[in-house]
Amino acid sequence: MTSHPSSASPPAWAEALLRLLLAPKDRDSVSGDLLEQYRDAIVPTRGATADAWYLRQVASFLWRRAWPWALIFSGAFVMRNAYDWLVPTTDFHVRSQVTTYFAIGTLLLVGFGAAWRSGSALAGIVVTVVASQIAAVFSVVGSSVLLAILKSPEIDRAIAGSGGIDEVYLLPFMMIVPAVILGTVAGVAGKLGRRALSRGNS
Amino acid sequence: MADVLGAFEQAVLLGVVRLADEAYGRAILNEVQERLGRDIAAGAVHATLERLEKKKLLSSRLGAGTPVRAGRARRYYRLQPAGVRALNDARAAVDTMWRGLTWPLKGRA
Repeated sequence: MTSHPSSASPPAWAEALLRLLLAPKDRDSVSGDLLEQYRDAIVPTRGATADAWYLRQVASFLWRRAWPWALIFSGAFVMRNAYDWLVPTTDFHVRSQVTTYFAIGTLLLVGFGAAWRSGSALAGIVVTVVASQIAAVFSVVGSSVLLAILKSPEIDRAIAGSGGIDEVYLLPFMMIVPAVILGTVAGVAGKLGRRALSRGNS
Repeated sequence: MADVLGAFEQAVLLGVVRLADEAYGRAILNEVQERLGRDIAAGAVHATLERLEKKKLLSSRLGAGTPVRAGRARRYYRLQPAGVRALNDARAAVDTMWRGLTWPLKGRA
């Protein structure tokens, strides 16, 4: 950031991330609005904390793209935990298949949607990874609430028999690995799909 | 029947009405912040403008940029007939709910 408000600039990486998330038609107008607000109103009044304001704005765009998917993803994870704890089994094959395919499908949709919207494969990867990690936080909170409500020796035994408490708290964060892979696949597909559609229309 | 508007959608549409020919993203954001008396994320206003345009309550066009925004175009919004109807319906609904009551309400405590 430079000292004169009219030439001050927000962090370049944050501006690049913002533009990445936006649809091509909004890229200039929305990033221009934020830059104008940053230079005209935020830098003169907030000085050194102006960059923090800009980062919050970019985070709000990212949050809007990611949270609905994160809610769906974490909802499935918490429901699977509830099912495993309340209806214990020793054969997890079918349950695992259902939740695995659901997770794959959800992550692919997140990445495809973000890339389709923005025309950028990288946007697909970023939004998928962020959605997976927001989902991890939601899952941990949801599972903790569930655990507090259901707490009993039977539930403790069911948890131990279904992968243990570590799986409840660590597995959601480990979803970052499939999120990167599936986000890449879906991001490329979304970008190519959009490009094919715009070629077909022109 | 016109679209049922949420409170924030009404604030954004009324901002567009008030700003008239100067209704572009940043001006709408500031107008809504001032009217609601709180900080609003630009993302919230952008998402609402996008939704209202998709519902055909608003239309938009690109205008010239300025040096302070590095020459990037402004997107100007204009209320459409469906938007006028939706705002009138929203106001009528509130008036109907309040009919026969005196504002401000007196608390019992």
